[in-house]
Formats: sequence, C-alpha cells, structure tokens
Amino acid sequence: MKSVHSPQASVPSSPTTSLIVDAKNVSRVFSMPAGPVTAVRDVTLQINSGDHIAVRGPSGCGKSTLLHMLGCVEPQTSGTLLFDGQDISRLSDARRSLLRLKQIGFVFQRFFLLPMLTARENVELPMSEAGVSKQARQTRAAELLEYVGLAARADHRPSQLSGGEMQRVAIARALANGPRLLLADEPTGELDEATGAQIAALLDRVNQAGTALVIVTHDPALADRAERVLMMRDGQIESERVR
Amino acid sequence: MNAIGFAWRSLVRQPARAALGILGVAAVGALLFDMLLLSRGLIVSMQDLLDRGGWDVRVSAGELPGSGLRISDAVDTAEAISRLPSVQAALVMRAATARIDRASGQPLRASFQGATMRSADPAGSRLRAPWTILRGRDAEGADEVVVDEKIASESRLEPGSEITMRASCVGDLEALPATRLKVVGIAEFPFQTTNETTTGGTLDALKAACGGNVGTEADLILVTSTGDADETAAAIRTLLPEIRAATNTEVVGRLQQTGFTYFRQISSVLTTVTVSFAVLLITVLLTVSVNQRLGEIAALRALGFSRVRVVKDVLSESALIVGIGGLLSLPLGLLLASGLDRILKGMPGIPVALHFFVFEAQALAIHIALLMATAIIAALYPMRIVSTLPIAATLRDEVIG
Repeated sequence: MKSVHSPQASVPSSPTTSLIVDAKNVSRVFSMPAGPVTAVRDVTLQINSGDHIAVRGPSGCGKSTLLHMLGCVEPQTSGTLLFDGQDISRLSDARRSLLRLKQIGFVFQRFFLLPMLTARENVELPMSEAGVSKQARQTRAAELLEYVGLAARADHRPSQLSGGEMQRVAIARALANGPRLLLADEPTGELDEATGAQIAALLDRVNQAGTALVIVTHDPALADRAERVLMMRDGQIESERVR
Repeated sequence: MNAIGFAWRSLVRQPARAALGILGVAAVGALLFDMLLLSRGLIVSMQDLLDRGGWDVRVSAGELPGSGLRISDAVDTAEAISRLPSVQAALVMRAATARIDRASGQPLRASFQGATMRSADPAGSRLRAPWTILRGRDAEGADEVVVDEKIASESRLEPGSEITMRASCVGDLEALPATRLKVVGIAEFPFQTTNETTTGGTLDALKAACGGNVGTEADLILVTSTGDADETAAAIRTLLPEIRAATNTEVVGRLQQTGFTYFRQISSVLTTVTVSFAVLLITVLLTVSVNQRLGEIAALRALGFSRVRVVKDVLSESALIVGIGGLLSLPLGLLLASGLDRILKGMPGIPVALHFFVFEAQALAIHIALLMATAIIAALYPMRIVSTLPIAATLRDEVIG
C-alpha cells in the first residue's frame, strides 16, 4: 500500500465549510403492525470536516439507522438535519441523490461491489454517474486503486478478490467523487482480525487526508481509533467519549 | 458506463438466464410476426392473384365469382359490356369437367376452362386468357388446348402432343363421344388448387369437347377497364342491373367479410396471446433479476445513483432482451411462415398460387412497434420495484439476510 496525496484532491467538490452535518433532535420512528418503533430518538450531533467518529452500541440500538439518516437515505420523522446548511427534508429525491453522489461516500459491511464489473469499473461507476469524462475517470480510478494498494488487481472481478481486497475496492469507490463525508457501516464485519486492521488503517488514512469519517461498528479496536466515540442505547446517544 | 452498457453487463452476468429470455422472445416474436403476416396475407395474396393478367372487373351472376350461378346469354352480355367506353375488353369464361384418356391406367380427371374475348378497343386484343403460358403457345383454334404441368408430366405431354378428352358442360352423367385435341402449350392456372388438374382453350374448343352441349351460359366475365375500375363496374351495373359487377378490390373486400374474416380473427387472438406471453416472460425474468440484485441496487442508490438511472437500467435490460430476441424472431418467423404456408395450402380448395403468409413492410413496422411496447410494458413492474426501493431498509435487510 502506498501513501499518496489526498484521494479527494483531484475531484472538485463544493466549497468547504467546517460544519458538514448539523442534526438537531432528529428521531426516526418506524410504523410496525404491533405499533410504532422508535429507532433513533432526539439525537443531536454535529460533524465537522476531518472528524473521525465511531458509533457503538448493542444490536438494534439505532446505529445503522442514524448512519443512514446522516447519509440522507433515511428521512427523519422529526427534528432538523442540515447537510452543508441545506435542510435535507426539503430536498427532492433527485437532489438528495446528487448530494450523496458528490458529497457522501458509503462503505458497506457486504461491500456491494457489482460482480460483473472489474475493480476499476466499480470505482469508475460513481464518477460515470457524476458525468466525469472517461479519461478523468480512468486516471482517478487508477489513482484510487493505487491508494488502496490494489493497482495490480484493477482488472480483476470481485469474485477474484479476497474479502479485504473487495472492501478496499469499495472504499476506493466511495472516494471516487471526492466526498466530504465517508460513512462506513461495520466495514470490518465480514473480515478477519488482520484484514480488519488493514481496512481500519486505510480508513484512518482517508480521514487524515481530510474526509470526515463516521463508522458504525461493534469492534472496540476499530472504534478506539476514532477521536469521538458515541455510545448508543435505545435510539439515543448515551455517552460521547472524546479522545 | 451508460444504462445500455450497464444493462448489457447485467445480462451477460447470467448468460443462461439471458439466453433463455432472448430465445423465449425469439420464439414468441416469431409467432407474433407470423400472426401479423397471416392477418393480411390472404388479402394481399388474393388481390395479387386477381390483379394478375390485367382483368380489373369481374362480372358474375352471384354475389361472388365462383358461386355456381351462371350468366345467361354470356357472349352477348360480354359484347354489350365491351362496347362501354370505359372497357378495353371482356372475356367470357366457362368451366366444364373433363376426363383425359391415358394409354395406361385410369383416365385423368380435369377441369376445362373455355374462354372467348370480346373487344371494341384495339388495345384489348393484346389481352389473353387468365393463364400463363410456360412452354409452347396459347390455344387459338377449336381443336387446341393448353394443359397444366401436372397433366403434362402424368400423361407425358409436350406442345404438339394430342389428347383424347371427354368433357361435360352440364353434368357428370353425360355420355359423350371422345374428342381429339392438340396440346399447343403448357400453362399455369392462377386459381388452380393443389389436387386439381386443368386444361384451357377457346370457348369453341370447350363447345367441341362438350359435343356442342354448352348453351349460352358462362360462369364469369372478366373485364379490363381503360383505367378506372370503379367507374367501369358502375357502368356495367347500370347497363345490366340483373348481374353483379365488382372490382378486384371489392371482391377482396367481400371475401374479407366472409371466409377471410376467420383468419383475421384467429390472427388477432393469437397476436394478443403471444404478446401477453412475451410480456409475462420478460416481466418474470426481469423481476427475478431485480430481486436478486436488490442489495446492489440499494447500494447504488446510496452511492448517489438517481431513481431515474436505476429505472433506465431496468428498461435498457428489457430493451436488450426484446431487441436481440426480436431480431432473431424475424428469420425464425419467416422460416416458420414458410412451413405453415405449405401446411395450410394443403387444405382442399386452396389455389396453389395463394399464400396465407405474405411479407409486408407494414407487418414489420407493426411487429417492431409491438415488441417495443412489449419491452416497455414488461419492464413496468420491475421498474416500479427499483424506483420505490427503500434504500436504508433494503441495506438493513441484506445485512440481516
């Protein structure tokens, strides 16, 4: 793995402000046949540029729901969520998609790479959707694969990669359009300890390069690398530990 | 990667499923194409048959030519018709049953078509009886005939040969002396059916073969107008209100209302059924494909792919399956049509030259339009699935699953 320049540098993004996400008393209630279930309750949270936040808590405490709300894929039932000063609830689906495309990167526990595409094509995909030219896409994908240490595997399909390699491709894909916020949901959940540590180190480097990082994890070792660790219980932030 | 490129990759990802879908569309598309060819095939083919030879108005005693009713004083009637200013020529047609003696075995049963022309217009003299001479020349004298290929080959006849014929112009029970006739040509008769054998000659030759027992009746008078068939038919109807005059187009129209309507109805029903099958087949394939990829689609949406984009991907996949299958359906459909045409033409009473399946650009255009509609309709449900996919819930379910 090589240490290269910031992976965000070559794809322009909107003007930077230090505050990225400003969530005030956000809640998410799901309607269930047995009655409403509150997954996230009155959470207030601010995420600034370069933040490194880990969210921990028991299963079903609302960690992933909070992450999805921060990533604008789950609407809040109440409260206010501002991304870059924009009220997310007032944006159309198309505008929210564009916001995610340009400003937010997602890393999933199960990678969700497209099996019919090579590693390079998977990384190019978000740039293609963003209208980046073919040449710029190819250059950027090569840079990112180099950054995550997979330059030699660029033409390999996901089925030819190990779990750790797939997650590295997924991280490269999440960084493709130079997001200001990277959200990772149990990024080491499917990996062994050694591979998980490599992924954790890679995410650290991404954060050190300026991208705000929010990781939902059960893994204490991964959480301990964050500056802020939020402990959740019953949909609420029970405590926050700042390193 | 645009939607089509993405859809292509999705298709080749599961080649067996893609091949199944494409072959299914090709088979159903071939059937659909054939139904479209059938829906107008008989009409187009019949119009073509009627138009051959240049006779554009048909005069008969019944509603349709060939109804069995005969025109009385046919030669005088043809004479009167030929004197109309809009008429080039009128041809009296009379058919009889005949037996041709053979040196070996049973006599050959045949029909004998006698024809005589009446024309006041010099241009009308160029017109000939409605059969096509393949070898030799047309019959002109009272002792000359032309025969079809089947008679020629079975009785080993060539132009210059002689035959002995016993013909009956009023019924099969007549006992008539045999007549010697000279074969001067081998001809093709447009309305001859598969099992029929036909000879042709002048009305005088027919009279001679029937022992003079013909009377003044005829089955049909064929008329060639100077240009406007509708005007000519109207003029004949005014002149002779007791007989029926119809243009070729009107004859086809009447056939459409009677016998041909069944084929159109069958074709409409089968077209609807085949299109429905195609829609169901593709809907099922796409729905299964989309359901297998819900996690990936939700991930793409989370990464910023718009709702329109994922809908486009599904529509493109449908278009590719239908497009490739539709292309394959054309040669397959033409091959199938040729086989079906042969089978249907085996039915009794169908002229050899008539076709049930006739290629028309219009049928191809409708085929393409129906396939395009199929691709869109078949994709509606899977498009709805991806457009309303709850991103967060799907990602959560995929992890739990």
